Amino acid sequence: MKRAELLSRLIVTVAVVGVVGTPLYLWSRTPIIHARMAENGGWTPDVIQAEAGKPLHLKLTSDDVMHGFAVGQMDMEAVSVEPGKVTDITLNFEKPGIYTFYCTRWCGLNHWRMRGTIEVSGSNTDLKPASPPLYVSLNLDIDAPHDATVVPNGQPSVSNGQSLAMDNSISLSHEEYLASSPFEVFDGLKNSSLTEEERWDIVAYLWQSNTTPDALANGKQLYAQNCAACHGENGAGDGVFADDLAATGEASMQTMSGAENMMMQTPVDFTDSARMLGATPALLQGKILRGGMGTGMPMWGSIFTEGQIWDLIAYLYSFQFEYPK
Amino acid sequence: MSPRFLLLLFVMAGLVVAFAPLPVQSVTPQERTIDIDARQYTYSPSELQVNKGDTVTIKLISTDVVHGLYVDGYDVSIEANPGQTATLTFTADKAGSFRFRCNVTCGAMHPFMIGKLTVGTNNWLYRSIGLATLAIFGTVISIKQKA
Repeated sequence: MKRAELLSRLIVTVAVVGVVGTPLYLWSRTPIIHARMAENGGWTPDVIQAEAGKPLHLKLTSDDVMHGFAVGQMDMEAVSVEPGKVTDITLNFEKPGIYTFYCTRWCGLNHWRMRGTIEVSGSNTDLKPASPPLYVSLNLDIDAPHDATVVPNGQPSVSNGQSLAMDNSISLSHEEYLASSPFEVFDGLKNSSLTEEERWDIVAYLWQSNTTPDALANGKQLYAQNCAACHGENGAGDGVFADDLAATGEASMQTMSGAENMMMQTPVDFTDSARMLGATPALLQGKILRGGMGTGMPMWGSIFTEGQIWDLIAYLYSFQFEYPK
Repeated sequence: MSPRFLLLLFVMAGLVVAFAPLPVQSVTPQERTIDIDARQYTYSPSELQVNKGDTVTIKLISTDVVHGLYVDGYDVSIEANPGQTATLTFTADKAGSFRFRCNVTCGAMHPFMIGKLTVGTNNWLYRSIGLATLAIFGTVISIKQKA
């Protein structure tokens, strides 16, 4: 073999290895995350390390059914994680901390258990301490019964309430709205000459005046994506997983403290007037933030932003009051 | 009767049964809404029957994981997340039997998650019943003649 031939062969080999091999090597260094149903292991790995200020590349794939991926409290579009496909995604974290990532497409009864964390390290020191949520500063016991003792006959009319509130110059500030239940406001009006029906109409209007169509639309979307599978599309607690939840609850609670606990596994009915009209927005915030502690209701504190929770709560009251949805 | 004539008679009768044009039944097209429950790995109901020209609205309710519904021949599809009813509306303007299938991978038995959409009456079923009866009849006669 001539020297020139040997040299050219060498050059060609190096070029081929460089062109094909380098991107392949770089691609293989990005961690690949496998998604499985929670019963079969959830995310592997479920803890990911990252650094603040540096982009984090991830590859996602599913081993069984369609899943989704999103990071909680982050303004990002959720991506689908499909079996047989690899989804590439790049995330940017500005602040260090522990972030929760979660499955966004329903994948069974234990869908909400599919969560993992991203530990973002960094030296950013100008972090503000988080303020406690409203239900904590109001010192609410979110597990105490809170049923309203009087409920309206039929849905209160917002338009009727508007004119009545104007005539009697009644208003409700946003702070008062967050801390009081519809029933408390209704009860507070008892010294007026108004009938019960009129008082409920006013309450409906006051609740509507503390929300916006945008917030309701956002709440509706969040509800459909995250709540409707158990609580039902119309809020009646009859979602597609309600029966399965009750069955699972019965099985798991049998050795514990009896029938009362079993009931807790049924999703709450938002069309139940006594329950909803006796609940303050702050109380609902607590329930959503913390979750149901073993009842099947997930804790949303690490997923939703505060604004998203208030929008969702505004939407929950729309099962009681006739807002333009 | 000669066997040849008889054979000819039966062949003629067979052709009539197979290809004679049927009087066209005028069915007024209507709107149909069908709720379909989808779970791993079945649809319920999995057999749909509509008339030609009907406007069909399928509400797909998924009760475990994300499922889809794709109608072969019509090339229309939807995807349903549990808790979010998905709606598909199309006009059944093609007669015949069509397969519909799940088009979102939903687990190991996903390829077997199928159903059938029948548009119009199943004329071929009745025609083939007629042909089969003729064939039996013919066989019996020819055996008798030989005996």
